[in-house]
Amino acid sequence: MHISEGVLSPAVLGGGAGLAVMGTAIGLKKLDYEAIPRVAILSAAFFVASLIHVPVGPVGLHLVLNGLMGLLLGWVAVPAILIALFLQALLFQFGGLTVLGVNTVVMAAPAVFCFYAYRGLLRRPGTAAAVGAFACGATAILLSGLLVAVALITTGQSFLEVAELVLLAHIPIMIIEGIITLFIFLFFQKVRPEMLEGIYA
Amino acid sequence: MPKKCFFRRPKLPALWTQGVFLILGVLALTTPAQAHRVLVFAYAEGDTIHTEGKFVPNNPVRQGQVQVLEQKTGKILVTGKTDDQGKYAFKIPAAAAAQKMDLKIVIVAAMGHQGEWLLKASSYLPGAKKATVAPAPAAPQAAAPSPVAPGTKAATVDSQMLEEAVNKALARQLGPINEKLAEMAVHRASLPDILGGLGYILGFFGFWAYFQSKRKKDS
Repeated sequence: MHISEGVLSPAVLGGGAGLAVMGTAIGLKKLDYEAIPRVAILSAAFFVASLIHVPVGPVGLHLVLNGLMGLLLGWVAVPAILIALFLQALLFQFGGLTVLGVNTVVMAAPAVFCFYAYRGLLRRPGTAAAVGAFACGATAILLSGLLVAVALITTGQSFLEVAELVLLAHIPIMIIEGIITLFIFLFFQKVRPEMLEGIYA
Repeated sequence: MPKKCFFRRPKLPALWTQGVFLILGVLALTTPAQAHRVLVFAYAEGDTIHTEGKFVPNNPVRQGQVQVLEQKTGKILVTGKTDDQGKYAFKIPAAAAAQKMDLKIVIVAAMGHQGEWLLKASSYLPGAKKATVAPAPAAPQAAAPSPVAPGTKAATVDSQMLEEAVNKALARQLGPINEKLAEMAVHRASLPDILGGLGYILGFFGFWAYFQSKRKKDS
């Protein structure tokens, strides 16, 4: 999911950075004092998740967990993802500092979208919420893949070709992330319902 | 926050315990590694430059697009595709050898991943020079079999040929060592990096919380 440095044109990089700044501003505005530890924990989880390598497909893939971030944090996922990506770029050389904005949009925009798209489903009891949680995890990856393809259009690669490749490669990750999001959701629902208060707000 | 420690609960709900085991199972199948970085490596052997692209730590970039650019102007000199071992070899372009260009070798892998390697002119020119210079001494040797000073001429030709042979052998033998060196130079995600990153994250949010709490008290 991390786009490398030197691939995209300055216009795309600038646009991505602008969107990331806007998202971060909205996220920080919505960040309650009480929610800060929760955001820190999830940011840390996102930071580490990228090191968990899933050996499938043509390119080695890793967990992203952006669906889970969206489910638990909503808009606040944007600053949480931004910080994690910043440190990944710095310490692991994933992506890079110039691509930070674009990468943040690629991963955070689906998180926010899924939060609003599945909030209604997640509020309902029983199976509906479970289905919502799985779909939230899977859809976020799907949308991130599409956004990567969109970002790469400007480099002259054909959208359909890249999109097909990205989506095919990410099908296993979509399923894995859906399952992980589902069970973490069920876990919190049973054990720490206050982690899920974002959905009910 | 209400204190609700789950360790004190007598029975854990069955579904999520299964889920946790499932997730642990998935994680056990996976290996922590560094995907998503393309490592490009290139070395010269004689008049050929060998390039190799792989995803760190050890997945070849199959069918990756290779571009060889002049470092200064960004002009594309050679393009090609890596094979299934992630390798691609090309002859040193004559223009590059003549102008002593530093070559930037970029390998573009799928989905917005790419890596590059700078091959300095000094590190590939010995081979290229031999390739262009080698025919030259051969010509005078054939054209002028004069008895004037055969000893000196033969000596220079011999030393040149010797140097060429030594260079060739060295390049062949040093290739794998160069490759190993490049591999070792790769910055892998180490435990201190991971822990340091986690520390930074907690620090950032601690900082934010501190200022939020100040503002709360002030108002």
